Amino acid sequence: MSAAADVGSLAEGLRRELGAPAVEEIELDLEGARLGLRIAPGPGEALGAALRLLGEAATPALVRGGGTRSAFGHPVPRARVLLETRALLPPTVVDDEDGIAYLPAGAALCDLREHVRKVSEGRWEIPLDPPGDSSTLGGCLAAAAAGPLHAAPRDAVLGLDVTLASGEPTRCGGRVVKNVAGYDLAKLYVGSLGTLGVIEGAWLRLQPAPEAREVWWAPVDDPRQALAAARAASTRVAAWLSREVAAELGAELGENRAGPALLVELAGDAPAVEAEARAWAGRAGAQRLEQGDPMAWLRARQGRPRGLRVRVASLASALAEVARILEEHGAQVLAYPARGELHADVDFSPGVSGDATVERILRGARLAARAGQGDFVVEDAPLAIREVREMFGDPEPRLALFRALKAQYDPRGILNPGRQAGRV
Amino acid sequence: MAPALEDELRQVVGSSHVLSRPEELLVYEADGLTHHSATPRAVVLPADKTEVVQIVKRCRAHGVPFVPRGAGTGLSGGALALDGGVVIECARMNRILRIDPEDRIAVVQPGVVNADLSKRVAPHGLFYAPDPSSQQACTLGGNVAENSGGPHTLKYGTTTNHVLALELVLPDGKLVQLGSATGMTVGYDLVGAVVGSEGTLGVVTEATMRLSPIPERVETLLGIFGEVVSACRAVGRMIRSGLVPAALEIVDRRTIEAVEASVYAAGLPTDAGAVLIVEVDGPAPAVARQVERVREHCVAEGADQVQVARDEAERQRFWRARKGAFGAMGRLAPDLYVHDAVVPRRKLPEILESICEIGDRHGLRLSNVFHAGDGNLHPNISFDRRDADEMARVLAAGEEILRTCVEAGGVISGEHGIGTEKRDFMGLLYSEADLEAMKKLRAAFDPTLVCNPGKLFPTTRFCVEANPKARGYDQVPLG
Repeated sequence: MSAAADVGSLAEGLRRELGAPAVEEIELDLEGARLGLRIAPGPGEALGAALRLLGEAATPALVRGGGTRSAFGHPVPRARVLLETRALLPPTVVDDEDGIAYLPAGAALCDLREHVRKVSEGRWEIPLDPPGDSSTLGGCLAAAAAGPLHAAPRDAVLGLDVTLASGEPTRCGGRVVKNVAGYDLAKLYVGSLGTLGVIEGAWLRLQPAPEAREVWWAPVDDPRQALAAARAASTRVAAWLSREVAAELGAELGENRAGPALLVELAGDAPAVEAEARAWAGRAGAQRLEQGDPMAWLRARQGRPRGLRVRVASLASALAEVARILEEHGAQVLAYPARGELHADVDFSPGVSGDATVERILRGARLAARAGQGDFVVEDAPLAIREVREMFGDPEPRLALFRALKAQYDPRGILNPGRQAGRV
Repeated sequence: MAPALEDELRQVVGSSHVLSRPEELLVYEADGLTHHSATPRAVVLPADKTEVVQIVKRCRAHGVPFVPRGAGTGLSGGALALDGGVVIECARMNRILRIDPEDRIAVVQPGVVNADLSKRVAPHGLFYAPDPSSQQACTLGGNVAENSGGPHTLKYGTTTNHVLALELVLPDGKLVQLGSATGMTVGYDLVGAVVGSEGTLGVVTEATMRLSPIPERVETLLGIFGEVVSACRAVGRMIRSGLVPAALEIVDRRTIEAVEASVYAAGLPTDAGAVLIVEVDGPAPAVARQVERVREHCVAEGADQVQVARDEAERQRFWRARKGAFGAMGRLAPDLYVHDAVVPRRKLPEILESICEIGDRHGLRLSNVFHAGDGNLHPNISFDRRDADEMARVLAAGEEILRTCVEAGGVISGEHGIGTEKRDFMGLLYSEADLEAMKKLRAAFDPTLVCNPGKLFPTTRFCVEANPKARGYDQVPLG
């Protein structure tokens, strides 16, 4: 039976509820699933109706935003419906007096960024910069996707509108900047990979746009030294680039860069940036980068498929050791020392690269996480690897709670079943 | 309490660490919200996590609910043991287990006092940022339960932004580690879910806290205004301009009068409508610029004076007006009801006028001292709970204040939590489906509702906890 025929009766119901244009029969193999329907419900009742029908038919959906993080998490082989969030576009609110905004989950962040900039006349910015230009707000929050400038999407969220698997629309948090009224469910939904509910819109705390901004480069041997240098100044971003990554950026800038380096963005009040720039100017080998946008390059690099990418968390004191382990296991390393976050890439081509490469990087990630007293996740890997390997370090100690949460929020298993840690 | 359980608890922690005589239980009847009270069956003081595990298992086996408790400084009745439950008092678990200056983390037991952590790490140039007004007494375990804030929340965030990992005894007695010292989340953000859960998801036995570097420079300003609404407008101007001070606090005229008549007197002009305390911190060049911006905003909104603290002594004097406010109000009446609600910051001027009108209309002594930068209001009502009529007016005014804040787009708590105090007002803010979504979290951690039952969820309109079988919950009888 074709994938479309498999969901034929469901398609009829969905067309009645959502209207024909929002429902399309397809034959698509994606994320290990044979998908027979693509739906793009609108916000509110349409999304609720779609989820209710999926639940009644016990038909799982692959929930997808911009698709930039689709290789993060386990495959969803049981899915039969592709639920696209691009039509989840409730009205936008930008309150530039209060520095907050309500933004739709289905919109691309690059568009929202521009919208906020225009409405606030450049005074506020969205503190989210996930890799990938087509990232949607909902996708960014569901994947807790961080970029070079902003580490923790959870901290930007004041409130969420989430439609649960039952089709019930719910709200948590709100538009105010401080709130302890009830459980902080937004923390639970952010990073849940769409397995507990579908985010429709979010109240975000905006960030004042910096008055001044400069990017500096300095040769620094390892991320622990980079951290010390970054802590000495109030930098917004400090990224340590291993030799290969530094050479890549050098090529991008048309310069020959040899050796590992620290890339910092000084941002904030102009007098502070000027003072810090003077300090950097006195540092051996330091140079202000005036061409291009190195931070955008970093973001793009983080979003570019490499084949295999792991993110490792480490304590500051172990950064150098963790980077060394990852490099020894064949990875190119990009680290954000102040966050204790290291990204390790290996160029990997399915069918060309062998299992030994996979074994090697996963072993390196495990050793590195242990050395750093942290953890690791695989952020990008070919489907065949994600089908058989755990992508989230060692979830076992918390697995019972993960399963209990999934059972409570999505008892019929219709939202990205199996994608989360431990294949929850 | 059934003698069998009492005996078992004594076996776990030793006889001297189980309190059950009426006079011993008296101090555990209430937290800082003194007009809500409930007498626990017993209070048990464990020394470590293994004892907590045993206590939880034994309570559960006997079908007796339990509630973790820190210093009892909470202001929403969250630490009350309802229906004859057992209080697990964490006072003996008060050790700082590890301080790691390079990694900027500390591992603490739940009974460590908030201010003690900052004192201990200060020699390393570090501090623990959340600073609730009760920080000299409140414990970090309690802070985790309530997601506590404080004056410096505006820049530094609340407790949830500073907890990296937790060790938790689940309501079934299992010990789990959530999060990691690096702060990385793998899978669902369980640390984020537990912080602020008011002790309903388990008993925290260890917490890994993020430490922050002491800023290079701190400047504290005092703006003196003729009207409180002008001070609110100055706050609005600062927020709108993108300025993020470390703290933005308003003390109104009635509070100033109380403070100046007390041992906390800070030399403030008692004819002022309000004072605005602004603290900016960070690198020296940035701070110098911010001081000027703050001054400009205050002047633009009609400040009569803007003073910059000349030294640490003067800085402490400015803060005394804020931090001594609650103590000073003790002179006005036997009881003080410290309300807690949040509104969008742009609404502060109109809401404050409404709140004062509500207080006046009910014939109450109402004053305001609050975290203006967060829109977090603390209308304080001085009263005498022995006066039944006044008590009724206090409660009626409180409800009106909450409704006013919610209608303005606000919420019913910014830092005190819901507890028993506001559980029946949750319906003002949330739909039944919203509350059901919260109950799903509760059910995943505590399907038998044995851990701090009777808190947070409404008992009137949405009676799931009172009638759990209606939703398939397996409820422990609560006496």
